[in-house]
Amino acid sequence: MKSISSIAKNTLVGAAIAGSLFGAVQAQEKFPSRPIEIIVTFGPGGGADAMGRKMSQLLEPVLKVPLPVSNIAGASGNAGLTKLTTNPADGYTVATMIALSVSSWAAGLGTAKPDDFSVVAVTQNSPSMLFVPMDSPLKTFKDLLNHAKANPGALKVATSGYGTQDDITLMYFTSQGYKMTNVPFAKPAERYSSPLGKHTDAIYEEPGDVAQFITGKQLRPLVVFDDERHASFPDVPSSKELGFNISDLPNFRTIAVPAKTPKDRVDALAAAVNTVMDSAEWKKFCAETYTCVTKRYTPAEGGAYVKAFYVTTQNYLKSMKK
Amino acid sequence: MDAFSLLATGLATVLQPGHFMMIVIGLAIGVVAGALPGISFVNAMAMALPFTYMMSPLDSMSFLGGIYAGGVFGGSISAILINIPGTPASLPACWDGYPMTKQGKSGRALTIAIAASATGGIVSALLLTFGAPPFAKFALQFDQPEFFAATFLGLVSIIAVAKSAPWVSFLSLFIGLAIGTVGVDPLYGVPRLTFGATNAQSGINFVVVMIGLFALGEVVEMLAKSEAATKVMGKIRFERPKFSEMWALRWSVMRGTAIGSVIGMIPGAGATVGAVIAYGIEKQASPRGAEFGTGVPDGLTAPEAAKNATTGAAMIPLLTLGIPGSAATAIMMAALVLKGVTPGPMLFSTQTDLVYAIFASMLLANIFMIAAGVVIARGFSHFMKVPPAILSGFIVVLSVLGAYGVRNNIFDVYVCMVFGVIGYLMKRYNFPAAPLILGVILGPLAERYFLTSLANYDDNMLIFIQRPISASILGMSVAFIAWAALPGLIKKYRQRKAALQS
Repeated sequence: MKSISSIAKNTLVGAAIAGSLFGAVQAQEKFPSRPIEIIVTFGPGGGADAMGRKMSQLLEPVLKVPLPVSNIAGASGNAGLTKLTTNPADGYTVATMIALSVSSWAAGLGTAKPDDFSVVAVTQNSPSMLFVPMDSPLKTFKDLLNHAKANPGALKVATSGYGTQDDITLMYFTSQGYKMTNVPFAKPAERYSSPLGKHTDAIYEEPGDVAQFITGKQLRPLVVFDDERHASFPDVPSSKELGFNISDLPNFRTIAVPAKTPKDRVDALAAAVNTVMDSAEWKKFCAETYTCVTKRYTPAEGGAYVKAFYVTTQNYLKSMKK
Repeated sequence: MDAFSLLATGLATVLQPGHFMMIVIGLAIGVVAGALPGISFVNAMAMALPFTYMMSPLDSMSFLGGIYAGGVFGGSISAILINIPGTPASLPACWDGYPMTKQGKSGRALTIAIAASATGGIVSALLLTFGAPPFAKFALQFDQPEFFAATFLGLVSIIAVAKSAPWVSFLSLFIGLAIGTVGVDPLYGVPRLTFGATNAQSGINFVVVMIGLFALGEVVEMLAKSEAATKVMGKIRFERPKFSEMWALRWSVMRGTAIGSVIGMIPGAGATVGAVIAYGIEKQASPRGAEFGTGVPDGLTAPEAAKNATTGAAMIPLLTLGIPGSAATAIMMAALVLKGVTPGPMLFSTQTDLVYAIFASMLLANIFMIAAGVVIARGFSHFMKVPPAILSGFIVVLSVLGAYGVRNNIFDVYVCMVFGVIGYLMKRYNFPAAPLILGVILGPLAERYFLTSLANYDDNMLIFIQRPISASILGMSVAFIAWAALPGLIKKYRQRKAALQS
């Protein structure tokens, strides 16, 4: 018995040595040489999921390795990001990191900070808009504002929650003398059925997430919260041209890796993602979801962009608390 | 073209071998995944999603629709045979299905379950085909107060589950409600009861709790008793059901189907809520209600019909409005959107053929589910003959896989293990587990609907009784409580009167 166990021990030690040697060899190997896991930080069916899955599909021929998607939903995307930061920072795990998660850190959720991540690329971006049901008597944003001014708080707006970009925007309009009531819905499906069933008067959302209702002519866009009009909605005025300063809360989506990931691997991933973003198929996808990003952010610029957004939300939330 | 000829065209398309195969494969995967303790149909659909990348929109919907219909039924196989619900929606099947197994009537229970599920599924697929647009309009009239009332009715249904001590059942329910509040709250984004653990912020998922309490708890119990599952079941014979016998259950099937069809359209609710409410209502409506829990066919029939009736109904808001109300329909939506097909009213006018082909495939999936159900249930009953030690090992592995698969998070596996221990202790000390799991499932829904109702109606607490539909549902809940509490109160009153007189 003794001899058998010692043989087993020797074999184990041998295997461990072989394993570490193998690891050393692998470190010098071309990246990527094995599958890359894409963590989608939300459940199947949403905007982040569509982005992750499209990336997975289009990155495979570029990087020549499979990129399986796993949905790790929970806590505004923070569950998946925790998984990302606890996995080895070797570029073989990437995750979707979106504006909602970043603003949740500013609101005090989770333990993550912008510095914990390297942004591979800003892949999608979209301003939010305010929509009303197609047959609503409020035909323009002016109508809506007049109604809100005449009946403070009577106008019900379906949003994703308190303390979110949605809430900040409504608070801003309250401070300008247009009081509207925030009706929070945690689940997108519930949020969308509410204005369609005329239980709320309007909905705050990014256009890509309600694309089916825009093409289906169930929702009418009234205003886009941005400096300029949206290329896909040339007839919808921007908040800035109407004299409101609330353009700094975009809904961006990025691909991120842990901050400690070697720079050459981040760059390799960034180059591949940029190739995908230049492809015709991605352009069709982002046009359908109204999320095309024309600027190509380098990882450094992307990181700065995320950080700036974090600070902006933090400042808004601080000023709201006063 | 009218709906009939459109459906006929759709059927002709779907019956082509290539398309038809997708339904059959989907059904087989669905029933097996559903029946395996731990693996639910949502897990199976999420795992199948990448395989649909290469398929046409119709094939991917037939494939996912097959898994959906088959999986919602499949969970009842293990619920009936070994008292472990394969999916949460099959929980009620444990309450009257497993007692039938203990009486040696497992074949009959399975036959009833298959027939009732298929009927519910077929009726809701027909509803989807012929009534989708008007029903979608009807569903949109429901708002948060109505959803809250329906959820409240579900919570009240635990009276139906409570066999003996109602106070213990309520205690269990409230523990479940408390567990349901763990994690980031739905409206303010504030973490609750997480004790500083980052992982707990994601909340405690009810599927994980259910796998722990019922699958792991049952396994430990099985090992402790060291009793082969077959001993309990006896020999399984698939009796061809006598028509008269099935006909006698027609009202239960109809009630279940009606409840499932309505609940299925509520965003957020789904098969589990439908089945639980159907069981509660059936207990009041059925002439044998008092015997529920002892293996009454009515108590098995209604929730079985209801849970499969939610499948077609849940697809109504998805296809007509573009609203995916449940995890399963969200996966279907993902499959469509990735192909550039946008569900919604435009789909009916721009891609009428595709819509009716999807309807046809849902109809066929529910019809062929009978065959798939019989074959796979038979296979499973052989499988139950393996010694308990091996069977338990197998179930433990599946439970761990299933708990992990819910959110791909290892934390969920630990939570599941903890609930496994709790589940065994609860079994040991006869502390009812079903109310607890109902609390975990319905609590977060009730909270969300309640708070959003108040936000939308100027914090008016009376809104729940001012809106007619929600008032009637709440009235029904009150009637439930009165119905259950009255006999006891009357008895007490008589006793006291008698005591005073003597």
